Amino acid sequence: MPKLNLFDIQGFVARGYTFPCASYLLVEILDHQAGREFVRRVTGRVTNAEPWDNKPPSTLNIGFTWKGLRKLGLPDATLLSFPDEFYQGMRARNRILGDIGRNGPENWEPVWKEDIHVWLAVYAESAQELARRCDEMKRFMQETGGARLLYTQPAAAVRIDGEPTTKEHFGYTDGFGNPDYEGVERDTIPGQGKLTPDGKWAPLATGEFILGYPDEARELPACPVPYLLGINGTYMAYRKLHQNVASFREYLAEKGKQYHGGADKLAAKFVGRWQDGTPLELSPDRADPKLVQDQSRNTNFVYGQDPGGARCPIGSHIRRANPRDAFGFNGELVNRRRIMRRGMPYGEYTPEDQPARDQDDHGIVFMSLGASLFRQFEFVQQQWISYGNDARLGSDKDLLVGCHSDGRDKFVVQGTADPGNMPFICGGLPDFVELRGGEYFFLPSLTALRLIADGAVDPR
Amino acid sequence: MANQNGKMYGLTILSPIIDDPKIKVSHDSALRMFLQNMPRHSHSPFANVSGTHICRLVVMDDVVFVGSPAKEEHLKSKYLVFNSNLYGGLDAYLEEMAGKIPDVVDNIWSHCVGYPGAADPKAFAAYMKKCQIETTFFFADVNDKTVEQTLRALQTKVEFTAFIEQNQGRSPAQLQREFAAFWERVRRLPLPPAGARELGTGQAAGA
Repeated sequence: MPKLNLFDIQGFVARGYTFPCASYLLVEILDHQAGREFVRRVTGRVTNAEPWDNKPPSTLNIGFTWKGLRKLGLPDATLLSFPDEFYQGMRARNRILGDIGRNGPENWEPVWKEDIHVWLAVYAESAQELARRCDEMKRFMQETGGARLLYTQPAAAVRIDGEPTTKEHFGYTDGFGNPDYEGVERDTIPGQGKLTPDGKWAPLATGEFILGYPDEARELPACPVPYLLGINGTYMAYRKLHQNVASFREYLAEKGKQYHGGADKLAAKFVGRWQDGTPLELSPDRADPKLVQDQSRNTNFVYGQDPGGARCPIGSHIRRANPRDAFGFNGELVNRRRIMRRGMPYGEYTPEDQPARDQDDHGIVFMSLGASLFRQFEFVQQQWISYGNDARLGSDKDLLVGCHSDGRDKFVVQGTADPGNMPFICGGLPDFVELRGGEYFFLPSLTALRLIADGAVDPR
Repeated sequence: MANQNGKMYGLTILSPIIDDPKIKVSHDSALRMFLQNMPRHSHSPFANVSGTHICRLVVMDDVVFVGSPAKEEHLKSKYLVFNSNLYGGLDAYLEEMAGKIPDVVDNIWSHCVGYPGAADPKAFAAYMKKCQIETTFFFADVNDKTVEQTLRALQTKVEFTAFIEQNQGRSPAQLQREFAAFWERVRRLPLPPAGARELGTGQAAGA
């Protein structure tokens, strides 16, 4: 098992932060020399993955687009060694990703037409600390003259009755489980790594998530040259997903009246978890707060005993995004398709008893990390979210995040003869989520950041 | 035998392409140009040959040298590879091909050595079988059904899904009435053309 260099890996890559608020800054590099000075100043502040004795008041992390690396003057031989999809960027990959119709790049927010070069992520314990950290970044931009702030995306945990929660705007508790991988110093949580032939859970290979280590194929993931630029780094897909809260609530209320199990159960069938987070596979009839709190159980399930989806629908969101053992072969088909999620809601939460509006600015910033955007994020998005063939669901898309612009998509709730669990078809799906913009970023190690800042990236 | 699985037939034919240094455009280039511009999906001429579930035409120049320690080898000729997953008997299929799309067949196989022409379907079938090699493994995706049965099944699935969505929750008597109307409508629907991408109307029963 590799020992991870936690001083070198960015903290955001190694762990999901649990701060109540964040800002994502989209930045343009103006000049390669002054831009490198800006990177040097930022690098001195970047949070690495060392364990915390005391939780810091805030964190800072950084990523680059391919255009950003070019603007910073990386050599051509290095730039040409990056994967195609990273070079092309998310906008150019839209047809593969199913980002068409209302989700098409022509409908994205204006900032995504600008030259986005750098992504800065600030997480903080308070609004004041967040502002202080963002101001510091703006000062670095001004003082070096090397960069310009294009856009600030604020994000914050949804507050209910004044308290930060792990809910998203549709009311689901989010953020259960991320893949376990080798080298992370924590106990393996059952359900989060990969299945072993004896039905137990083991961590995935490090190289599925961090460059420079063997992956599940016992190969090193493709790495830019020089190797030192890539090792301990990773790639990120960043997507701003607007949520049509009114459409969701209306649709759920309307279909919930027709569905024998009622609206709460239908909401659970959409996602594969009850809104409090209880896995449907483990508790098909009711939410179970004790189960939600129990880390040894809340992601510890498989679909092998539920091949027809009578407990957890085959097309439910969590079963699509991570089918576990559902495609047979003891789950081995999914081990190369796992993604590490980092998400944070943005915008005001509308309490359940108040009228929601689609057009209000609320949604989730979805971020997916992995060693290969093509093999992991893009595959999951294209084949399992925007298509249904692997799950024998024909052309059906994910109910929640699929693009249903033509209004003809459906979601099938499989069931049994039991009156409370009858099969049901939800037709005429509206777009519950709309993509407002996104991009691919490379999140280098601290060593690589210093190479970039010094202009010392040498592919020879 | 490996060529057959139930009524499904996995056909593999390798026809040597004529090597004629005296002509301006080589036969393999001319063949590639023709294949490249052939219409696809429901417009493919092979959609008119009733047994065709899927088929593919490939020009094979040579075998690829993958580096030492592999031995460097070369084919004696360029080949046209024709793969078809078809329903039913081979002779009838090949004869139908010559009968239904003779111009296309001539345009393709006239670039191959010893081609007799499509005018005599029996001679064409005999020629193709002479070039046949055994298919050891092929895509099993249609459960031993004809093309028509498969298209009808897909169409019915789309229509029936729409029927359920529109009628779920109705009383048994009403459901029975709606279903009878639905079935009367659906059984009269024209068969979608082979290769079609839209298979159903998704209309309400009786609409």
